[in-house]
Amino acid sequence: MKEWPRASLLGAEIEFASMRTYARYFLRRLGQFVFVVFVGINIVFFVTHATPVDPVEQAISSATQFGHSDPRAVEIMRKALRELYGLDGTILQQYVRFWTRLATGDFGPSLSAFPTPVSVLIRQSLPWTVGLLFTSTLIAWGVGNSLGGLAGYYRKNRLLKAVGIAATGLQPIPSYIMSLVVLILFGYIWPILPISGGFQMNVSPDLSIPFVSSVIMHSILPVLSLVLITIGAWFVGMRSLVSNIVTEDYVVYAELAGVNRRRILTSYIMRNALTPQLTGLALSLGAIFNGAIITEFVFGYPGLGTLLVRGVNSGDYSLVLGIASISIVAVATAVFVIDLLYPLLDPRVKVE
Amino acid sequence: MDVALSVRDLRAYYLTSHFGVEREVRAVDDITLSVEKKEIYGIAGESSCGKSTFIRTIAAAIRPPLRVLGGSIRYSFLDRDLYDLDERALTEMRWKHLSCILQGSMNVLNPVRRVRESFKDFASPHMGLARSVFFDAVKAHLNRLRLSPTVLSAFPHELSGGMRQRVAIALATVCRPEFIIADEPTTALDVVVQKDVLALILEMQREIGSSMIFVTHDLTVHANISNRLGIMYAGRLVEEGSTRDILRDPMHPYTRHLIASLPRIGDVTPKKGLSGAPPSLADPPSGCRFHPRCPLAMDICRQAHPELTALAPGRRVACYAVSPLVQPAHEAAAARKATKADKSAAFLQ
Repeated sequence: MKEWPRASLLGAEIEFASMRTYARYFLRRLGQFVFVVFVGINIVFFVTHATPVDPVEQAISSATQFGHSDPRAVEIMRKALRELYGLDGTILQQYVRFWTRLATGDFGPSLSAFPTPVSVLIRQSLPWTVGLLFTSTLIAWGVGNSLGGLAGYYRKNRLLKAVGIAATGLQPIPSYIMSLVVLILFGYIWPILPISGGFQMNVSPDLSIPFVSSVIMHSILPVLSLVLITIGAWFVGMRSLVSNIVTEDYVVYAELAGVNRRRILTSYIMRNALTPQLTGLALSLGAIFNGAIITEFVFGYPGLGTLLVRGVNSGDYSLVLGIASISIVAVATAVFVIDLLYPLLDPRVKVE
Repeated sequence: MDVALSVRDLRAYYLTSHFGVEREVRAVDDITLSVEKKEIYGIAGESSCGKSTFIRTIAAAIRPPLRVLGGSIRYSFLDRDLYDLDERALTEMRWKHLSCILQGSMNVLNPVRRVRESFKDFASPHMGLARSVFFDAVKAHLNRLRLSPTVLSAFPHELSGGMRQRVAIALATVCRPEFIIADEPTTALDVVVQKDVLALILEMQREIGSSMIFVTHDLTVHANISNRLGIMYAGRLVEEGSTRDILRDPMHPYTRHLIASLPRIGDVTPKKGLSGAPPSLADPPSGCRFHPRCPLAMDICRQAHPELTALAPGRRVACYAVSPLVQPAHEAAAARKATKADKSAAFLQ
């Protein structure tokens, strides 16, 4: 009998070999991850320490602005504050201290809300931001990609064309304008939704129905404005991906073979277009730890964005450093995870 | 002999209108031909002569701006014209009766799905078998094509070019269709694999007993596989006959140039290229479309298109210079109509 022509990388005996190459790939990506986080946090450390706002001088000027105070007492106070804030010594000593503290997960005390630790402040704001941005990112991604995919496939459909025009029209609108427009529309002209805060002041924050419904009501407007800003990019991206894939040989061939239309749209077109969009999703999900600074600020939302603005304005290095470090780790983790998943999503990506 | 496919006066143009400027590209113009059962009909011609458009038209795979403006396409397995079928009947007919092997078979398989899934999507709706029985049938079929059943669990990129081509052939023949359209299936392959793939296609076609239209610009491939040959130039069929006759004794000046361009062992005379370029199909030359490049061009060639005229059994040529029997197409059509009218008049009397 004739020898079978063999395909490469088939069968179980090769599975094992590919497991080993996958382990190597994992370790290399892990190394990259650690490197990116290290470099990123260093950059943030030096940039925040180069700020012209001195938190010690700010604290002293707010303490001495009423009446006369003894210059010697001020000098003693300055020294004491420097020690307390961890700002004594050269920048190199501060740098070493920063890393030793960071190794134990401690970002030090906040300088503007002294002596509350930065980690406590972040822990209070994080759930708000994550809830807000996770929801809006997922909604925008899901709706934008589904509609974009359909619009790329059914190019003649009037309704989808109208959606396309709307999406491309919304896309370039800056987030502060969009937030304000939404705020004015639904808070002033047609006042049906709360316009500020994370929940109603007179509801106690526990897992009760009035609290949860209050949180949801308060999140509708910020989520809406975030979705409206980001949905256009997903829509346009998916539409152009799909309209390229439609002319690929494998799609034309499947159509020639009379393969079920819905199957072609899902398994042949969308499935192939989805891989780059999933990378985009992972990056946006990583970026949610930055907070949506402008939108949170406009809606007075108690999230990381608002906290970050407060930290920057008061020269609170520790707080800015803490938030920036968390977002660096989050983005790097998202990229890391998607890199690990990529060989599974797209079989053509070899792990070597 | 029974006819498997009969195409009459087929016209398919690309109609575009940009900013009010209407443009028509006459890619397929008045083509009449028939393919007999179990026959391999070869179509040859240079790039942009309308081969691929013709293929797309008879495979009912046209998309705007390409449109069929006239003529008929009748397959023996259909009870009406191809373009009279509704969407459902068309889907049902595809692959079961009419399948295709395409140019660039490298990329006809979905890159993110295993080969198994492609077989399931393409063939299983037409074969109506239970899952396990279906895959047994597929494996038996792969076996006949000397392919290991392990290819089913492979992704397309894990297969070599030759194997992908075999898989594509397996995919196109697994439902045992009556008619197969092959569009340059060997063009992207090296000569060794090409020979192998041609043999495989021939073997499958014989075993299933299907008819085939085989398109390639490569006359040496035609010499190996096609029973009959149609030569296309600028959207029209200019000569037709058995492959043997055409290669031995080409009649149309264009065919003669094509054949003369083939290298021959022992022939050391330098090959001369045909002067000029293929005409634009958006604005084809008047009369015979070959006349601007033809060494034998006469006055009449510039005025009226010559009818593809039967000069011997199974031999048709469209060139005034070849035989005085060749008439301008419109006169021939008028004459046909007249004889028909005579006949019906005689019948009425």
